[in-house]
Amino acid sequence: MTITLQTLLKKDWFGLLIVVILSGILITLFKPAFLSSFNLYVLMVSTSYMLIIALAQMIIISIGQMNLSVGAIGGLVAISFSGVMEVYHLSVPLAIFIGLAIGVICGFLNGFITVKSGISAFIITLATLYIFKGINLGITEAEPFYEIPSAVKNFGNAKIGGTPIPYLIIIPIIITVLMWVLMNRTETGRHMLAYGNSVQSAELLGISSSKVVITAHVISGTLAAVAGMLVVCRLQLGTPNIGDSWLLPSFAAPVIGGAILAGGKVDVIATSLGVLIVAIISQALVIFKIDPFFVQIFLGLMILLAVFINRYREYKQEASRKVFTHD
Amino acid sequence: MKLLFSLIVSCTISISTTAFAGSSGTKVALVPGGPHPYFAAWEKAGKDAVKDFGLGKADYKVPAEWDLSQQNELIESLVGKGYNAVLVFPGDAVGTNKILGELDDAGIPTAALAGCVEQPTKAKMCFGTDTGHSAYLGTKQLIKAMGGKGKIAHFTGFLVDPNTTLRINAVEKAVAEAGGGVEIIQVIADIDAYEPADEKINAFMAAQGGEVDGIVTTAWVPAVVASQALTNMGDKRIKMVGIDHDEVVLKAIKEGYVHGTMLQNPYGQGYIGSYVMDKIRGGCVFKANAPWKSTAQTDQFIDSGTVFVDITDVDTYVDAMRGISLDILKTFDGTYLDC
Amino acid sequence: MTKKLPNFMFTNQFGLFCIVIIFVIIFSSITDGFTSRFNIYALSRVVAIDIMIGLAMMVVILTGGLNLALGAIGVCAAMFGGWCMETMGIPVIPSIFLILGMGSFLGYINGVITVKTGVHSFIVTLATMSIYFGLMTMLTEAEAFRRLPASFTDFGSIKLFNKYVSPLLIISVTACLTLFYLFKFTDIGRKLIAAGANPDAAELSGISVNTMFIYCHMLSGFLGAVAAIMLTTRIGAAIPSMAGQLGMDWLLPAFLAPVIGGTLLSGGKLSVFGTMLGAILVTLITNGLYLIDVGEFWIRFFLGIILLIAVILDKTREHFTLKSVIVS
Repeated sequence: MTITLQTLLKKDWFGLLIVVILSGILITLFKPAFLSSFNLYVLMVSTSYMLIIALAQMIIISIGQMNLSVGAIGGLVAISFSGVMEVYHLSVPLAIFIGLAIGVICGFLNGFITVKSGISAFIITLATLYIFKGINLGITEAEPFYEIPSAVKNFGNAKIGGTPIPYLIIIPIIITVLMWVLMNRTETGRHMLAYGNSVQSAELLGISSSKVVITAHVISGTLAAVAGMLVVCRLQLGTPNIGDSWLLPSFAAPVIGGAILAGGKVDVIATSLGVLIVAIISQALVIFKIDPFFVQIFLGLMILLAVFINRYREYKQEASRKVFTHD
Repeated sequence: MKLLFSLIVSCTISISTTAFAGSSGTKVALVPGGPHPYFAAWEKAGKDAVKDFGLGKADYKVPAEWDLSQQNELIESLVGKGYNAVLVFPGDAVGTNKILGELDDAGIPTAALAGCVEQPTKAKMCFGTDTGHSAYLGTKQLIKAMGGKGKIAHFTGFLVDPNTTLRINAVEKAVAEAGGGVEIIQVIADIDAYEPADEKINAFMAAQGGEVDGIVTTAWVPAVVASQALTNMGDKRIKMVGIDHDEVVLKAIKEGYVHGTMLQNPYGQGYIGSYVMDKIRGGCVFKANAPWKSTAQTDQFIDSGTVFVDITDVDTYVDAMRGISLDILKTFDGTYLDC
Repeated sequence: MTKKLPNFMFTNQFGLFCIVIIFVIIFSSITDGFTSRFNIYALSRVVAIDIMIGLAMMVVILTGGLNLALGAIGVCAAMFGGWCMETMGIPVIPSIFLILGMGSFLGYINGVITVKTGVHSFIVTLATMSIYFGLMTMLTEAEAFRRLPASFTDFGSIKLFNKYVSPLLIISVTACLTLFYLFKFTDIGRKLIAAGANPDAAELSGISVNTMFIYCHMLSGFLGAVAAIMLTTRIGAAIPSMAGQLGMDWLLPAFLAPVIGGTLLSGGKLSVFGTMLGAILVTLITNGLYLIDVGEFWIRFFLGIILLIAVILDKTREHFTLKSVIVS
């Protein structure tokens, strides 16, 4: 397979890559400290868990649904993970296992209830958001767990050798690769996209909707669990607030990466670059000392801009074909 | 740790007061703004007040979310349930006044606890920390630690919280008083959630860590995250003054990465606040010439004690707080009340 | 709502109505103070605002869309009203019209962007939510407007019917009746529903779907502004945090009421009275949970469970309900 510039240009992620490189160069010109080792480290740390959060949402977007409970699952796992270590003194691997199991169970519940009830995942995950967050608050009574084993703390704050690369980013990179393989090279991934494109035709093709939906939600829950535990490693404490702020960024990255919310079209690489763009921009806002009152508006403008650009590209690409979409 | 603080203070205070017999019929609800570790000591404080002063009830009731409407709904349901005195951390310095007025109409005394409501208000008092003044004192301490000159960064909470503006102004005031030697190089706000706080504070450290000489934090989450960032960097050059008693902050002070923190007195607030509510229900009124303090928000303010703690007294601050609480309690009737 | 009683018995609303009654009976028998005057008055006020928020979301759900920016629009409208009355000294009545205009205008922007880009309104309003809210905090520097005219703020404290009911509830019920009339009996209402039910077919029959969708978003902004006015009179001030960070605290009541009330998320079918009953049910349950003493930290958990049970019950009952009823 030869890669020509033309095939590259058609890729969702190519334009994003250019944005990443250009913004990197631009920021460096004004603030050379941007490329300092410490800054790159900070950038990679914040990218690491946001990457998994975005992928947790992306997989649900791929089947044409939404998962509002990503943050609530992450928070519940975060406090359970740190809680079992502090209160029951469980070993780290066992705690990780429990954390993952909770993520799987939460995701399974989301998927199972969505499939069996036939109610939109938006409503189901709105309800489970309350349930998961409620359990979190019921257990912790809003107080954090502090006794995190030093192995966990170190993992969240160590760099690989003399490089600025944090250990924290290893797992997200592995997961991103796995997700790429899943979406692009496996039958399960194709089924999800087919289901996201059109539920009816997917069923006509003999794809089991319950299998597709439950699988996607289980993966989403598991990824949310991983993200929750990574945040615990990073913050060195298990606070009940983990996950509260994930909703907006979890959608922002896939949307900036060009995922169509109706489902059937997602791109792992583009989503990852979307995460990177959001991270670079929020860092630039700090570096350039942008008025704190202005910072809030920025993510919104970014999403809107991405929406317009995607719309423009679609318009260019499919000018010949009449597309009729109404939402 | 979370209980330790309240336990020690409560034991010592309880011993020093004689237990009252019988129940006064006063049912106090202690309502924080939402789920937050700061208020945890109120639960014990309320229980101890019941035991020591013979109240009917003094229960810690937490709104399910940080949301003014949720808090109002909770308070309304508590009154429906028979609580007849309310101590509230105002969900909003202005917005909470309306419900306090309505409670007053219904014959239920209220007071603002830990944070104030703005006047005019029907709250009997504001017993807590003057958030602006605390930020001012903290910045003063920071400037002193920096030797009177250098560059300061200020990390604070939600911009929609009016206290945030008070704190930003107070830090500016302290800096202005220091003369030309001190300068605020950056204010980072809206970081009341851990993940964005971690991202922004570390990005700041990466970009300006070499230039900045001091950090003042005036909200819980930024204080925790900034303490952690300095500890992880192993940086003892940058001086930092935090706020509140989160374990992470206290540990960083002991290890020398954080210069100090501005402590509040949550246990004393809950304990003495419940006591005062019972007195008022029993017919006491505040003296016309009570020695109120004034803040930017109210001139019916009683300071529940704000102390600056650094490495020299971080292990004994519990005693300092106990002393303050006892002093306030001992002289409260004579100073403020006509019974 | 259909005319014959037997049919009515099978409607979504009747089922909801029964559930509401059951909860009232349960709560008044097992809790102290549920039926106290103070509690009922307080409930009537909360319900009134939640109904209005639910209706504001309902009219966008009609298009198959969502309006995440609803809370942000509400706060912006309220703050704009505070500025009009306090800073500019504009009298109350003209100010109210300006507030409603502001809400409609912000809704209009949502509508236009949604229609022009063809992107799901979830994403569009996700973006405008942070833009509106950010602009508002920037312009006001998060300063509340608290010296509003007394004639305005006192309205929220008026007590009617032997001090049991807030006048806000009367506004909400009036809004319900008006919307019911609009969607059931007017030409424009029928066009709005046709556009939401099947855009392609509506377009073919000469309805400008885009215009209809923009109308729905404007109506949503308008109703959001009404809710904001009601909340402002209740709080007695216009404050930036009145709907939480980014206005997101409104989202739960906004979605719960219409969805429990039987409004389809896919669009084209709405239930005005169902939304009203949905809002009543949610408020009742929250209030009841606080009164029962489940432990405040568990309230969210139980609220989620009850929401789940409610939507699932609703779904299973769907087999027996009259699907032909589009507006109720």
